[in-house]
Amino acid sequence: MSKSLKPSDLAKPSDCLCHIEPGDLSPLPPPYEDFNQATIPPLKPEKVNNIETSLDDTVAIGIPKPASKEEEEALVRQFLSGLKKLFEKENNWTFLQPLLLSMEHCAKCQTCANACPVYEMSGKKDIHRPMFRAEVLRRIYNKYLKPGGKITAKLTGDIDLNWTTIARLAELSYRCTLCRRCATVCPIGVDNGLINHEIRKLFSQEMGVAPKELHDKGSTQQLRVGSSTGMNPLAVKDSIDFIQEEMEEITGYKVDIPWDVEGADILLLHNAGEILSWPENVGAFAIIFQAAGLSWTLSSETTGYDAVNYGVWYDDIQFARVAVRHTDIARRLKVKKIVMGECGHAHKALTVTADRLLTGELNIPRESAMVTLEDIVLSGKLQFAPIRNNFPVTLHDPCNMVRSMGIVEPQRRILRKIAPRFREMTPHSVENYCCGGGSGFAIMSGYNFAEWRNLVSSRKKFLQILTAFQDEPQEIPKYVCAPCSNCKGAIRDMIDYYHAEERSHLYYGGLVELIVNAMANMKKPIIRFGEEPSWES
Amino acid sequence: MGFYVLSYICVAVFILATGYRVYRQITLPVHVRWEIYPVQHETGAKVAYGGSYLEELNWWEKKYESSLFNELKYMAPEIFFLRGLWKENRSLWRVSFPFHFGLYLMIATFGLLLLHACFILWRFPAFAAGSTIRTLLDGLIIFTGWIGLILGNIGSLGVLYKRRIDPELRDYSSFADYFNVGFIFLFFLSALVACLLGDPVLEGAKAYVLGLLTGGHSLNPYVPGQSVPGKVAIVSASLLTAYIPLTHMSHMYMKYFLYHDVKWDDAPNRRGGSIEAAILKNLELKPTWKAKHVEADGRKTWGDIASSAPKEMK
Repeated sequence: MSKSLKPSDLAKPSDCLCHIEPGDLSPLPPPYEDFNQATIPPLKPEKVNNIETSLDDTVAIGIPKPASKEEEEALVRQFLSGLKKLFEKENNWTFLQPLLLSMEHCAKCQTCANACPVYEMSGKKDIHRPMFRAEVLRRIYNKYLKPGGKITAKLTGDIDLNWTTIARLAELSYRCTLCRRCATVCPIGVDNGLINHEIRKLFSQEMGVAPKELHDKGSTQQLRVGSSTGMNPLAVKDSIDFIQEEMEEITGYKVDIPWDVEGADILLLHNAGEILSWPENVGAFAIIFQAAGLSWTLSSETTGYDAVNYGVWYDDIQFARVAVRHTDIARRLKVKKIVMGECGHAHKALTVTADRLLTGELNIPRESAMVTLEDIVLSGKLQFAPIRNNFPVTLHDPCNMVRSMGIVEPQRRILRKIAPRFREMTPHSVENYCCGGGSGFAIMSGYNFAEWRNLVSSRKKFLQILTAFQDEPQEIPKYVCAPCSNCKGAIRDMIDYYHAEERSHLYYGGLVELIVNAMANMKKPIIRFGEEPSWES
Repeated sequence: MGFYVLSYICVAVFILATGYRVYRQITLPVHVRWEIYPVQHETGAKVAYGGSYLEELNWWEKKYESSLFNELKYMAPEIFFLRGLWKENRSLWRVSFPFHFGLYLMIATFGLLLLHACFILWRFPAFAAGSTIRTLLDGLIIFTGWIGLILGNIGSLGVLYKRRIDPELRDYSSFADYFNVGFIFLFFLSALVACLLGDPVLEGAKAYVLGLLTGGHSLNPYVPGQSVPGKVAIVSASLLTAYIPLTHMSHMYMKYFLYHDVKWDDAPNRRGGSIEAAILKNLELKPTWKAKHVEADGRKTWGDIASSAPKEMK
């Protein structure tokens, strides 16, 4: 049992504030006991020589160490300047009221801790308590920005502010997946996930500090090149051409994917990661929309073919730019609505969060693909042979789509119709657990962060998946339906990491693949389990 | 008279501080949506599983509806019985429930005492000595007062004890956290002792509240603060009234905003509506964030920045 840590300990210099020892992590059942003594592989000294690594066993951002005392002090001043701005309407009208309410009313009852999968799976490490980082920010704010704060801090909770505090706080803000499960259980309504989100914003918007996967290679690249994948419009068109051909080869169904159709009813926005990593998802959408006779289009305009909006995790400015860009493209295409493909954070970013950003002609209706697909599947427009999906299926609920948007039942009604062996995870729906890849973690893998994700933040979801299929024989292929690109990425990685394909015959994919797999007029299956087709043609 | 002056000042502080808190909330700019489901004012079956109107095809063509009944059905047990804590943190509920319910009963007792005082001042005919209404009200005051004091004492002692012995709570508790609960305990204890030692039917409390409404000129010859515990109870209750809105304990009523303005704020932005007007105002604000990619120069508005690509991207 490691010693307990208090918020004030964040300021005390040490090489590693929180270390995971063998046996600390929550145990996994057979045949995964060999992972119960696992720890995070040490960071290679030559790679982390000049960056801050003193929080724990991993690094998400890789903040360069200040070269001098003066630089340290300047960074502390910059941090305080950013903190002040979080509480000004000119700078933070976007979240000012939620932030103030959560900062001022926490009763420190720790109810949130029991709801947090990272805290639980880490072996209940104090730094992973949802209120830990919130309390650090609260203490800094009260002490350094409120009148008389240095005196009242002795009574209300003290903390020193130095470079160590700041560097660790920045890193710590990337140990929470922003799943907001903690916020649903808070009896008062305090949202520690939100405070974490605001910490990330402070670092990005004032100090230019953010993981490169989210900023440089993420939102910046998306605005500059067109996609966080690096694909420009030409490359994306090539890839889609390839998908069209592949779909015909795989399913025997010829599909034409429309581009830039002015006046189409629907602009379909995919996470461009699907195009590269899960092309069958993009193809399956096209098959369903075409078979149902929908009027729809993709956009080949820069940013218009990538639904991702990483800003929603760390930077309001980047978030606003991408959201405006998406809707402006839809406006110029004169579509009736934007349909969000299988990408949870893009759902929330454009449909809910941006709802209080978009005005006038930019406020184009946005709809979840779960809803569009439910209408198609349940309306009788397509014929299904559900027996083709005669394998165990469970559903992962993407936090952003379910807990943050209340889109719970459409995907379930579809599965009940087309997947006869569908079963729920426990708990599920709005009480679900995050895949562990939330808030950008699925795409962050620098240093040894992917190891941390697989071992700690994805662990609860892995346990849930195993439990959902525990009554099935090992040799039967099992399908985890995850209608979200980032969740799929995290589930793919956990299956690889724990060798779960070999040990449990676990497979994963989206919802549309299951729909197409059950369509009566498909000549061949779209879902394969390794080399094996899911049904014989 | 000194007691009354103290009470008046404390009530004034309460009104001002609470007024300020509420005023600040209602004048803050409209923020982006950040609701979390289940949203308890959802209609129909959706509320049971946490669904939203976003599950409807072409949801924007339909009227936005919310159910006050569903909301109250959730909020009543949440407010009175701390339903969320019961579900998620049972061991804390065991001490937190009596603590909070004791406070609620004290507030209810104060309300009944005010009613009692008003009836006397108005010389309400049906409130004559020995009348059914008066007997009923007297009985209610004794009932809520005693139950509240007993629960409050058990609860505040329990909360103090739990905060002290449970490492999860202890490691995050500051002096102020203990002081707050200790302060409340002081009131509960002194009031209970005052009742036990010579005022089991709360005559002193009735007289004091009557005096509050008459500027100390009580029609009742009872003189408040006759006993030391009685004096302590009056002083601590008055000071608590002023103190609570200055601390995080204001969550008792600020919870309304946490729920209604954030957790359940799912109202869609319609073209030409009031939310859109508020957003347009927000987009005129001029940020000063310093990171390069923001490109805020103090002149550009949020609207300008959101619709531009920064230089590093061009």
